[in-house]
Amino acid sequence: MQRPVWAPEDIDTERPSVARMYDYYLGGSHNFAVDRAAARAMMEAVPEAPLMAQANRAFLRRVVHYLIDQGVRQFLDIGSGIPTVGNVHEIAQRAAPDARVVYVDVDPVAVAHSREILAGDERATVIQEDLRHPDRILAHPEVRRLLDFSQPVAVLVVAVLHFVSDDDRPGDQLRTLRDALAPGSHLVLSQASDEGRDETQRAEAEQVYRRTDNPLWVRGRAEMTAFFDGFELVEPGVVWVPQWRPETAESAENAEQAVFLGGVGRLGG
Amino acid sequence: MDEPADGRRRPGAFARAWAKAVAGTSYLPMTHAQLEALLQRLTDELAEALRTEPLDVRAGYRVGGELVAAHIASAEGLGRTVEVLQLRLVRDLGLVADDLDDRMARLLAAVATGYARALRDRTLDEQESIRRANLAARAEAERALRASEARFRHQATHDPLTDLPNRKLFADRLAAAVYEPQRKDHRIGLCFLDVDRFKRVNDSYGHQAGDRVLIAMAHRLRRAVEDHLVARLGGDAFVILVKCCTGTGDVVAVAEAALAALAEPTVVDGHEVTLTASVGIVERQVAGASPDELMRAADSTLHWAKAAGGARWELYDAERDGRELARQALSAAIPAGLERGEFYLDYQPLTSLHDGSLLGVEALVRWRHPQLGVLRPDRFIGLAEETGLIVPLGAWVLAEACREAGSWTSATGDLPFVSVNLAVRQVHRPGLVQEVSGVLRRSGLPPRRLQLEITESTMMNTAEEPVLALRALADLGVRIAIDDFGTGYSNLAYLRDLPVTGLKVAGEFVRGLRTPGAHADERILASLVSLAHALDLTVTAEGVETGGQAERLRAIGCDAGQGWHFGRPAPAERFLANLR
Repeated sequence: MQRPVWAPEDIDTERPSVARMYDYYLGGSHNFAVDRAAARAMMEAVPEAPLMAQANRAFLRRVVHYLIDQGVRQFLDIGSGIPTVGNVHEIAQRAAPDARVVYVDVDPVAVAHSREILAGDERATVIQEDLRHPDRILAHPEVRRLLDFSQPVAVLVVAVLHFVSDDDRPGDQLRTLRDALAPGSHLVLSQASDEGRDETQRAEAEQVYRRTDNPLWVRGRAEMTAFFDGFELVEPGVVWVPQWRPETAESAENAEQAVFLGGVGRLGG
Repeated sequence: MDEPADGRRRPGAFARAWAKAVAGTSYLPMTHAQLEALLQRLTDELAEALRTEPLDVRAGYRVGGELVAAHIASAEGLGRTVEVLQLRLVRDLGLVADDLDDRMARLLAAVATGYARALRDRTLDEQESIRRANLAARAEAERALRASEARFRHQATHDPLTDLPNRKLFADRLAAAVYEPQRKDHRIGLCFLDVDRFKRVNDSYGHQAGDRVLIAMAHRLRRAVEDHLVARLGGDAFVILVKCCTGTGDVVAVAEAALAALAEPTVVDGHEVTLTASVGIVERQVAGASPDELMRAADSTLHWAKAAGGARWELYDAERDGRELARQALSAAIPAGLERGEFYLDYQPLTSLHDGSLLGVEALVRWRHPQLGVLRPDRFIGLAEETGLIVPLGAWVLAEACREAGSWTSATGDLPFVSVNLAVRQVHRPGLVQEVSGVLRRSGLPPRRLQLEITESTMMNTAEEPVLALRALADLGVRIAIDDFGTGYSNLAYLRDLPVTGLKVAGEFVRGLRTPGAHADERILASLVSLAHALDLTVTAEGVETGGQAERLRAIGCDAGQGWHFGRPAPAERFLANLR
């Protein structure tokens, strides 16, 4: 039966979820057979997939520490997925107990799981929303309750943009978010890139994600840099994520294998 | 795992080697320094165990569990750990003991066991947690679905402005109340309510203010008749269902409560507005009732209340309704009757009181109704005037009268004029002059042989067009007579302004002539005649029934008479025979 237009989306565990696949890459067990099958198919095509996820997660951790050092205490993590190991509120609140975090994800299971994890944490919450509707995110009462937009906010869009097609105008969505931010706010982006990848690998990876609700949409460095429109890029700019302020020199070796480009921008003024 | 590096000595060579071995085996949510510090602590624990007699394998379990807890939790992480412990722990720490190989093997086994146990527990916990999340998400989606279904149902059955039930929901409830088998012996009531002249609110204060008033009224209505279903039918029309009543009194009480609630002044944009409403009430036994019939009856009754001036309730009256229904049915049949040629004309003579000659005939329309037989104009002209059907009917009468009169012949060559009644609507319609001149041209009837009878009320409003039209017709040579003169709004001013050629005096003055000593009517008639003659108008007396009346009228100076005394309405042949 055709679902009527006014009906909310159904929970479909017959389809792999990118949030749960990501959890699998990170070594978690918050996933179903269908997710593991899709993740293993991805690893067939791109054996470094778990490394990519790990490198991206490590980038996120370093960025949150950096932002805490910059005095940022508010985080809006859009496309947070299953926030298990190394989630933003744990990293941030350990470094600064007054840090406040709002997670946003479209995946209803990821949201339900986040809600369970966050139960009892007065400074962290989760809402079910879509990066493609920034107005709804900004107007959401939970977002308004926890975040004060007259103070700096870090907007994290980490490992998400490659699931947003150009037709969905990610640049416009990011601009809408930017216009709501106070000076001193930051934008953190990372996304899968096809730079240095051969055509076959890319095609195979795209094939895997076509089975999910979120087909893959890879981009290059110039497109990534353009997303920081209106922000001043923090050193070292848009780089392979292991190269972004690495803890040790050797952890930045073979950085291009990480597949993810990342960067941090600061809103001046 | 957050061991401060300065709390203990710097990580030794072994801890650093171990950290290097496990780095990258899985995502570690910590810095490299934190990892080294953690592994230094675990190294110390293992070394302590190896040195202690007897060997406590629980230290191995603990270390295995701590590795997993710190997210060094992959197959590779365990493999590398076993490898580095076996290869380097004893050597790097310079441990010495007789049975070291044996102790090391048992400790390694304990680490692997503790590790596998912790990893299995963690996996199971995470699986349980994600399944719980899945269930929660499903429940949430289901709840959202129900909520949106409920919202959708509400929207489909409620008026968006006032949030009252809408026509559809009301119809469903009414049908249920009528058709529930166990309710056969009950009685049921309906109140149709409509705000009087609500349009004025919209016109004076705008539609948004009007909407606010409607919302306020809906709220008051709901409060005033709480126990009963109130719905908004649209616009400013509401309906109340009184499901259980013992008689009309109950429903009248509901209507009065509703009227009282609406009578309170409403503040609109700072102005106090007092509105009234009208209510049509139907109350009857459930058995034999039909929802459509109840709604229709209540609606008709509401119109009676409106027609009586509003600000009141009216009770349904089956007899009155029956009469009105019959009238409506008759009125609805007029167009088809015209098309099928069911109408025909009779003529009544207008006779000279001076010499008894035939001056003219008045065309009187008849309807040969297929079921009701021949109907006289008093049965259907009023209806036709109400509905506007008088326009096509009147046009047919005019054309038919001219056509027939145009075909009449006489031996002497003197032919009577034909007098046709024009309704108010016909006179006020643009194009009257073209219509009349077209009819005259087609029929070949000379204009002087056509007389148009208009009533005083036609000229009540002083619009210029009808006057101009009548003047143009008079210029053509058409006679124009005022019908029923003296009974209505006898404004003498228009006699000065209008191109009138004659007056027809109403029969009630003539009737007075029958009674000896009724001098008042005679004096009025005499004055009318002298007034008319002073203005150069002819006077025709209507309703002349006796020779005595005719004689008196002649004596007064009246020019012509019409009535049974001179001849009843009849087909044209009757008087045409006398002309030959």
